[in-house]
Amino acid sequence: MGFDYNSLLAFIIFGVTIGVVYGIVALGISLIYSGLDIVHFAHGEMYMFGAFFGLVLAHNVGIPYPIALIGAMIMTAILGMVVERVFYRRLTRAGGGYTVAGMGMIICGFGMSVALVNVAYFIWGAEAEPFRANLDYIPRLTFPGDIKVPESYVLTAIISVALMAALHYFLRHTKTGLAVRAVAHNKDIAYLMGINVPLMISLIFGLACGLAAAAGVLIGPMQSVQVEMGYLMLMKAFAAAVVGGFGSLPGAIIGGIMVGVFENLGAAYISPSHKDIYAFLLLILVLMFKPSGLLGVEAKVKA
Amino acid sequence: MLQINDVHAGYGSLKILRGINMQVPAGEIVTLLGGNGTGKSTLLKAVSGLLPLMEGEVLFDGVDISKMKPHRRMRLGLVQVTQAKEAYPAMTVEENLVLGAYTRRDRAGTLADLEWVYEFFPVLRERRKQLSGTLSGGEVQMLVIGRGLMAKPKMLMLDEPSAALAPKVVLEIFANINRIAKTGVTVLVVEQNVRMALILAQYGYIIRDGVIMIEGEAKKLISDPAVKDSFLGGSVANTSRALRN
Amino acid sequence: MQIANKFFAGVVAAGIGFTAAAAFADDIRVGITMRMVSENGQAYGQMMMDEIKGINEAGGIHGKMIKATLMNDECKSDKGVANANKMVFQEKVHLLIGSSCSSVTLPIVDVTAKAGVPQLVPHSTNSKITQKGSEWIFRVPVSGRYYGGVNAKYVGENIGTKIAYICAADAASVGDCANMEKQMKARFGVEPAYRADVQEKEVDFRSHMQKIKSMNVDGILVAALAETMARALVQSYEAGIGEEVRRIGSSSASNAPVPKIAGDAAKGVFFTAAYAAADQRPIAKLFNEMVKSRYGIHAPDHDFSQAYDLVRIMEIALKNTKFTGSLADDRTAIRDAIANVNGYQGLASGPISFCAAATPQCRDGNRTAVLIGYTKGGENFETEVLARVTMEEDFGLE
Repeated sequence: MGFDYNSLLAFIIFGVTIGVVYGIVALGISLIYSGLDIVHFAHGEMYMFGAFFGLVLAHNVGIPYPIALIGAMIMTAILGMVVERVFYRRLTRAGGGYTVAGMGMIICGFGMSVALVNVAYFIWGAEAEPFRANLDYIPRLTFPGDIKVPESYVLTAIISVALMAALHYFLRHTKTGLAVRAVAHNKDIAYLMGINVPLMISLIFGLACGLAAAAGVLIGPMQSVQVEMGYLMLMKAFAAAVVGGFGSLPGAIIGGIMVGVFENLGAAYISPSHKDIYAFLLLILVLMFKPSGLLGVEAKVKA
Repeated sequence: MLQINDVHAGYGSLKILRGINMQVPAGEIVTLLGGNGTGKSTLLKAVSGLLPLMEGEVLFDGVDISKMKPHRRMRLGLVQVTQAKEAYPAMTVEENLVLGAYTRRDRAGTLADLEWVYEFFPVLRERRKQLSGTLSGGEVQMLVIGRGLMAKPKMLMLDEPSAALAPKVVLEIFANINRIAKTGVTVLVVEQNVRMALILAQYGYIIRDGVIMIEGEAKKLISDPAVKDSFLGGSVANTSRALRN
Repeated sequence: MQIANKFFAGVVAAGIGFTAAAAFADDIRVGITMRMVSENGQAYGQMMMDEIKGINEAGGIHGKMIKATLMNDECKSDKGVANANKMVFQEKVHLLIGSSCSSVTLPIVDVTAKAGVPQLVPHSTNSKITQKGSEWIFRVPVSGRYYGGVNAKYVGENIGTKIAYICAADAASVGDCANMEKQMKARFGVEPAYRADVQEKEVDFRSHMQKIKSMNVDGILVAALAETMARALVQSYEAGIGEEVRRIGSSSASNAPVPKIAGDAAKGVFFTAAYAAADQRPIAKLFNEMVKSRYGIHAPDHDFSQAYDLVRIMEIALKNTKFTGSLADDRTAIRDAIANVNGYQGLASGPISFCAAATPQCRDGNRTAVLIGYTKGGENFETEVLARVTMEEDFGLE
């Protein structure tokens, strides 16, 4: 049997559609890291809460899927801001002192992850919930070689790319975006520019958690929604962020797509039983040849 | 304009400033002189709000700002120009300047001031789309001063504007500071380059080990043997003439 | 979504009814460990406790009260073993009931064998459970080795022999896959057209489905726990594999989350089980109504029927036990009484019988499997009975 280029193409297409979702979660992790110098270990739970919020809005409240997506992003952003304000910020000096938090911050992130999972257990229970989105109006794309990509994947890819573009525009072309970048680079100077640094930190956290929520709502119809869904996504997104270069926003997206494609190809041509290993295999490979990740800077400049 | 009364400050249990008293009258250039590790930068941070006070108070325009967050102090018109290395290297020159005007809501005024800064420092206009990380040392210093001006300050505090610059460039920078002061902005210059700073300023303070050792009119300080012995040398007159022109 | 239920996880000590006041030393102590993480799990746990309460209220076992302790192992083997140890050695139970997941039951078999405590298995299907040679183990559900045979026979004769296998890594599904594969080879001489071993909680089957689609198979066996199976079913349709390719479920397919989560993708899926809610016998109809009215469960799956049958079998055995007061002697006597249960006719699709030898022939009590197909998915799913097959007692053994 000759080599089947059509299925290779299919694996790559599917890899990209899941990869962009890893990418937007990784984008949030990178945003928090570059903005606040913390590695947010509870980010997977933000993704999970986002998915449940979307589920509740779409099924229990009954609003249309696209609006539920936006609603879930807003709700999760608020949740993230509250968590940051109430818990994380206490571990640091008032305001912009994230740099010094170190190990305590990492432990706190893990603790928050466990706490959020249990809160979700309490509210929604352990059973997976089906998330049915009515997406009949989205076209089913047919690629060369009769590869049909279902509507929900198309939608996922479109919305993910749109969110990335929106974030890029916000950061590059708005005054508030400029302030966010200033805070990300150096909080002391940002203060001297008259920027309300604590507010920007909340904004960064809210944005990052909103992105995670979008990923949750997008993945929901594909994989159903479950309390324990966050852990695996965190691992993949983490791998994506590191592969792309930790702290680099374009890197997060490229890393996400690479992880998605790589693990699909690994599952298809090596062994499907160990699919989750491939993300980390890729991670190790990239780190061996480029320790700062593909688009990472060698070391973050700090004042 | 700025009054510093018995300020103590430091990091954790390490107290660096031990009772500083200073005044910067409106419309004047005042300089704070001292070597490395004498507490100059700590005092600047205490005044701009990046470091909380342990004791004492800071008044700006008669208002007690001791407990105010840094961005609020900045909005009152008390603007600190950071050291040159603290421009945002990953942002363009223009983005850096726009960031300086972050607190302002008047778009027209901001744009006019951007033009004004470009006229002040024509080299910045040439480099406006360049990342500030690619500028030379003197250009970055102009950039951070320009960024400070974009906030329409009542008072500008400069942190070692001569650091790591060639003498000719230093001269140019100081001439520009003098021009800024003539537009009515009060200036506090923190410096190690004692001679240049005292020629520029009307009044000077010399800090050592977190206390003010000597203070007085700049002209007198230049000729004060105590200061002269420890800091000065070379010909004052030549530099002085060059600056005033 | 029932918040009140969540308080219920953990230990529910049941000094039920009038036994609560006086926990007599001559109570019959029964320990239960099961997977109670889902609504269904909590409901059948509660049902067992309610049935035991019913026995006590009707006078108990020759005047003795049954004191039951219900624990949740969350389908996690470490918790299950910890529960079993606690109940066997601390609470000194006469009889242990457990567990739901094969991966939990397998290690518990060693605990009860070592301690000499009779163990009744309510749900686990993995063939190896009764092949460890323990004298103390009794399985109420149909063993995986029978399921494999029934599935293979039906598939080969009615659907085709070109089958793709998707096998998740949990103990039940690994066993189901292996049995089906073995039987397809033995009966029809075919190997799997495609075989993918995936993780227990795999979320993304799309590349497999894409491959399977290009192969034009007759059917796909999806062997996985309920939620994983549902995801795979949904994604098989998303990949564009039409309904003419039949989806075959493993033993977990009977669990309600499969049609609930898979929705329309559950339609046409068929599987073997020990009980069908579509069963037309009067006892089955009464049972369905009881479960619906008492626990609000739509169409109980065989996890319910097996839990119910297990309590009845336990009642029969305990009534035939001569209690002496010595814990070790009583445990042995209960074991022998269970081994003497013969031809029990309950909800299960066939009679349940045990015998004394510590062999799978004696200890896999139920040899009759029923083939069930989903005719409708979603919350109010519907099923139909396709066939009922009784296997030889040494079928599927080496």
